[in-house]
Amino acid sequence: MQARDTEPSAPRRRLLWSALSLLVITLLALLVWLANRFEVSQVQDRLERDASEAVVDIRAALTRNLQSLQKLQFHTPGSQPWRMETADLLRQRRELVRIEWRDSTKQVLAFLDSPYRAPVFNILGRTGSGSDVGQTCEVARRLSGPAYSSSYFVLQSDVLGLELMDLCLPIMVAGRESGFLVVSYSLQDMLSEFVGSQYAHGREVSFTEGDGTRLAIDGAVHRVGREFSAKSLLELPGNTLVLRLNSWRRAPELFPNVLSALVAALALALTMILWLLGRDMRRRLRAERELADTLAFRKAMEDSLLTGLRARDLQGRITYVNPAFCQMVGFPAEELVGQSVDAPYWPPEYSEEYKKRQAIRLAGKVPPREGFESVFMRKDGTRFPVLIIEAPLINAQGAQTGWMSAFLDISEQRKVEELSRASQERLQATARLALVGEMASLLSHELNQPLAAIAGYAAGMRNLQQTSLLSDADAQLVVQRISEQAERAGRIIKSVHDFVRRRDQAREDASAQELIDAILPLLNLQARKLSVQVSLLLRPDLPRVHCDRTMVEQVLLNLARNGMQAMDEPGLWPRLLELRAQLINVEGVQWVEFSVADIGTGIDPEIEQQLFTPFFTTKAEGMGLGLSLCRTVIEQHGGTMRFERNQPRGTVFSFTLPCAESA
Amino acid sequence: MQPIIDATVFIVDDDADVREALAWLLRSRRLHTESFESADSFWHKIKYGPLPQASCLLLDVRMPGMSGLALFERLVERGWHRAMPVIFLTGHADVPTAVDAVKRGAFDFSEKPFSDNALVDRIEQALVHSGKVLQMEQSARDLRQRLNELTDREREVMQLVIEGLPNKRIAEQLDISVRTVEVHRSRVFDKMEVKSAVELSNLLRSLE
Repeated sequence: MQARDTEPSAPRRRLLWSALSLLVITLLALLVWLANRFEVSQVQDRLERDASEAVVDIRAALTRNLQSLQKLQFHTPGSQPWRMETADLLRQRRELVRIEWRDSTKQVLAFLDSPYRAPVFNILGRTGSGSDVGQTCEVARRLSGPAYSSSYFVLQSDVLGLELMDLCLPIMVAGRESGFLVVSYSLQDMLSEFVGSQYAHGREVSFTEGDGTRLAIDGAVHRVGREFSAKSLLELPGNTLVLRLNSWRRAPELFPNVLSALVAALALALTMILWLLGRDMRRRLRAERELADTLAFRKAMEDSLLTGLRARDLQGRITYVNPAFCQMVGFPAEELVGQSVDAPYWPPEYSEEYKKRQAIRLAGKVPPREGFESVFMRKDGTRFPVLIIEAPLINAQGAQTGWMSAFLDISEQRKVEELSRASQERLQATARLALVGEMASLLSHELNQPLAAIAGYAAGMRNLQQTSLLSDADAQLVVQRISEQAERAGRIIKSVHDFVRRRDQAREDASAQELIDAILPLLNLQARKLSVQVSLLLRPDLPRVHCDRTMVEQVLLNLARNGMQAMDEPGLWPRLLELRAQLINVEGVQWVEFSVADIGTGIDPEIEQQLFTPFFTTKAEGMGLGLSLCRTVIEQHGGTMRFERNQPRGTVFSFTLPCAESA
Repeated sequence: MQPIIDATVFIVDDDADVREALAWLLRSRRLHTESFESADSFWHKIKYGPLPQASCLLLDVRMPGMSGLALFERLVERGWHRAMPVIFLTGHADVPTAVDAVKRGAFDFSEKPFSDNALVDRIEQALVHSGKVLQMEQSARDLRQRLNELTDREREVMQLVIEGLPNKRIAEQLDISVRTVEVHRSRVFDKMEVKSAVELSNLLRSLE
């Protein structure tokens, strides 16, 4: 039930879960975004680095070209060696489009075009191409070193044009300016030659002006995705170019690299674990709720039971009692739990016996499955009979932890049994009375006839005597008749006697055990009612007795009942009734002697004399026929009945029955 | 007590000893008896009518065959139990039955065994009763005979005489002369063997 209190409500639980999911997703997105950004910055960095390296490379290449060009000064311009060397240079350097030798007035003395393309100035001519060679050479003269011109566009025959840049190198001979070497660079080829595939792979390299106008481009790429761009300045004497590196990347991938993949995997794993934990918790919650329900159900069941329940541990201490048990014995649970021997509901007089019983139980002896009966005491001191069913208490590990006992208050049941037995007895008595009445009626009718005849004769004789008319013959006849009628009456009486005698023929052989077994159920009923313990002491190998079973059983029952009633005294504990049967020898004849011994109040000496007198009784509801009839029955069997004092107290009634003739 | 001449006591009992003892007792009182061992044999004897002389019936209640009670029923049916009074003989257990029978016309009942002569005294009373009943029945029969002998006119005159009318009125009513009425009247008186109108009136009332 506590679990139910602390258990979050469903909306709150959903909110918590949503918050957790949101956090995880945000974290994941952040991680992916950061990783992505990191990657972008890396790409950008590399691009920037490459751009500056490319500029350095270009510069280095230009410097190297400059040195090669300066070597041309040592030949006579226009001479064969100069031409050969220049052609050689043009063949080696594809970026060089044309090399001109100009004099100090900037007039062309000799020139050579690149063998790799058609002469560029053929269409418009050198001057018409918009280049300002003069100005560049002026700059070079002023610098006393190489100077580069601004780039300019030369239209070509193939519609496209070329973006060129001139280099003017003053030729110094003996410290004096003798002319200029004008070299035209193709920007396009500069890019492809200098920057090369090292940087341009998957990128676009271009020269732009300061304002972003593209002059030359190399490395066409598939422009898909995001564009990255890096710029680097190429400062040359007389001109400044901007080298621009462009790069395109595909749309950023979900796992741009191992790191973010790892992070994602970890996050996924974390989510997974969280989900598993959540599921586990849900299951646990459900199990707990089910357990709580089951417990509540069990508790309700135990509380609603009419059967008392009590659990004891292996030391005999009470560990649990249910409300029905408390109600039964009248003690609250607090007063019972923890109690051991001498439980408050044990009647003091049975305490010893119960202690023994508990010791046997604790020794591990399993009680009978059908239960046993006992007597308990309520808080107010009244006793009541209970049926106890005990079973070992086994815990989840299969080990015995104590004993569980169920109690049924059987006083009501007892009462019903008692009532039915009483009504049964009353019915039997009524039947017996009816039979006796019937017999009496028959007997009176039969006896009336001879009596009427006798009365008639006697009256007639008196009549005759009065009138002195009685003759001797008449008198003789009448007396004869009267005696005949008297005889007849005698015969009737005898026939009744014979009728009673006829029960002799109902005699059969029976063992003492059989006789006692027949009355035991009735006996036990009474014994339970009066809390009497009945013990049987039958010698083995007793011979069978010849008797009218029904009658002898009645005698036994009568004596046993008398004995139990004699012990029905408050404060008399224990109450023991002993039924014995043994073989005795009287003057050479074998008899079976039955004894019924009680330890009750005994018989007063003045009553002893009248004990077998018919219609004598000490009981309020008795008829006083019991003992006298018993003795008659026994004497009809040829046996005797007697009684004596029991030691130390009480009375023993004994009777003998003849042994059956051994077949 | 005067002996009753010609009276008969019928004894019906299945027990021969009882029959014999009773017969002997009654004989000692000079009463004539006739014994029957069963109700059937007795019925066989009297089925054509009761005896003309005084009689009484001692009847045992319990008998094999037709019971005493059944026989009594037949007698009551025919009205014979008046001229032949019935005294039941009963055992103790049958007393309620016997009392019931007395209520329906039995003369008396006697419990067995009988006490001395009380039963005989009762029998004699029954015989006297029987004699009286027979006598009354006889005189009634005579009266009817005499009435039958009257002529129609005489009967008319007699009726008016009984009503107490004087001769003159009778003559007026019957439209005859006073003289004629007187003749009829004296003839009625003669035939009915009476001397006065009052006597005649009593006689006729006894018949009803």
